[in-house]
Amino acid sequence: MALPTATAEAPSLSPSIEERAVGATLACVARHGLAKTTFDDVAREAGCARATLYRYFGGKRQLVRITIIREAARLAASVRAAGDAESTFEDAVVAMVVRAARELRDHDALQFLFAFEPELVLPHVTFDAGNRFLVGAGSAVAPALTRFLPAARTDRAGEWLARVVLTHALSPIRPIDLTDEAAARALVRELVLPGLLGSESAT
Amino acid sequence: MTVLDEPRERVLAATYACVARFGMGKTTIEDVVKESGVSRASIYRLFPGGKDQLLRETVGWEMNHFFARLAEAVYDAPDFASLLEEGLVFAHRSIQEHAVLRKVLETEPDRLLPLITVEQHRVLDFITAFLLPYLEREERAGRVRPGVDLEAATEYVARLVLSLIGSPGRWDMDDREQVQVLVREELLGGILA
Repeated sequence: MALPTATAEAPSLSPSIEERAVGATLACVARHGLAKTTFDDVAREAGCARATLYRYFGGKRQLVRITIIREAARLAASVRAAGDAESTFEDAVVAMVVRAARELRDHDALQFLFAFEPELVLPHVTFDAGNRFLVGAGSAVAPALTRFLPAARTDRAGEWLARVVLTHALSPIRPIDLTDEAAARALVRELVLPGLLGSESAT
Repeated sequence: MTVLDEPRERVLAATYACVARFGMGKTTIEDVVKESGVSRASIYRLFPGGKDQLLRETVGWEMNHFFARLAEAVYDAPDFASLLEEGLVFAHRSIQEHAVLRKVLETEPDRLLPLITVEQHRVLDFITAFLLPYLEREERAGRVRPGVDLEAATEYVARLVLSLIGSPGRWDMDDREQVQVLVREELLGGILA
């Protein structure tokens, strides 16, 4: 089964049921992978009647779609919050990069997919789908950059940061460990930040 | 190429031709025997992992060709920035026009993409090794910021160039002016003086 693309708006549901279902889906995927996770597994994990869950989600496909939308929103909010808590541009970018790398590293469901079912996740983050992913992720984290950059540059900078994190996550060859703050800071300060500021602000 | 490499090369070229015709899933070892004229026994001797190994190495083989063509297209660029600009434009066009890649991406992305990801480390090494002398030349000409670690900088550029070739995102790689901004700001802003 392919992952549906997380584009459409999530319908507004009772938060408790939806949160439980999303949490249960993530727990099942982290344990058995996406292909083997059934709608019944999720219902059992969530402690919901299958019929109740079915009324909300109408099947595994929709359940997975909602889970992706919710997780993407949660990750983006976490990365923005990391940036918002800092007062200089450098500290904000370092915090955002480190937070994103740690969220990916600590995401058990995603780590299972990368390790054992890459065929289900790679089609959503590479080539043409990669364009949509990077542009979307960039716009989602851009608000944390508005204090430091002209409005015209924030989406562009957000996209570059998303690209930097994604490429290190997908090709961990001689990896620079971006979950390590010192390593992330060295990369950001030397190579990433001057590129984001642009020629007019470069020193 | 040495004589010893020849059957191996023939088998990989034949597998590539079969994948172009039938796709990755439907290509069989028998198809490759017919296409290459190399015996089934020899194919298994060369690729003990059978079809899985053959497909993986064929993906790596074509990726090597792709990046060798890219290197050939840009090697005489006058400076580092122009080299990257020409490389990005050429690679983007080559990917758009790569009929076999487009077809397999369309029909069997689940089979192809994990193999591309596995083989990617070779490509990263290749791009890094190719680019490093050009950056060293920039440094000798006094055009690199003081204190830049050339190897770390080259790996950063190689990684992001590879990412941009597959998914340019917001950047229109057919627009020379945009590519120039991308290379001189995002990619090289921290590297060139």
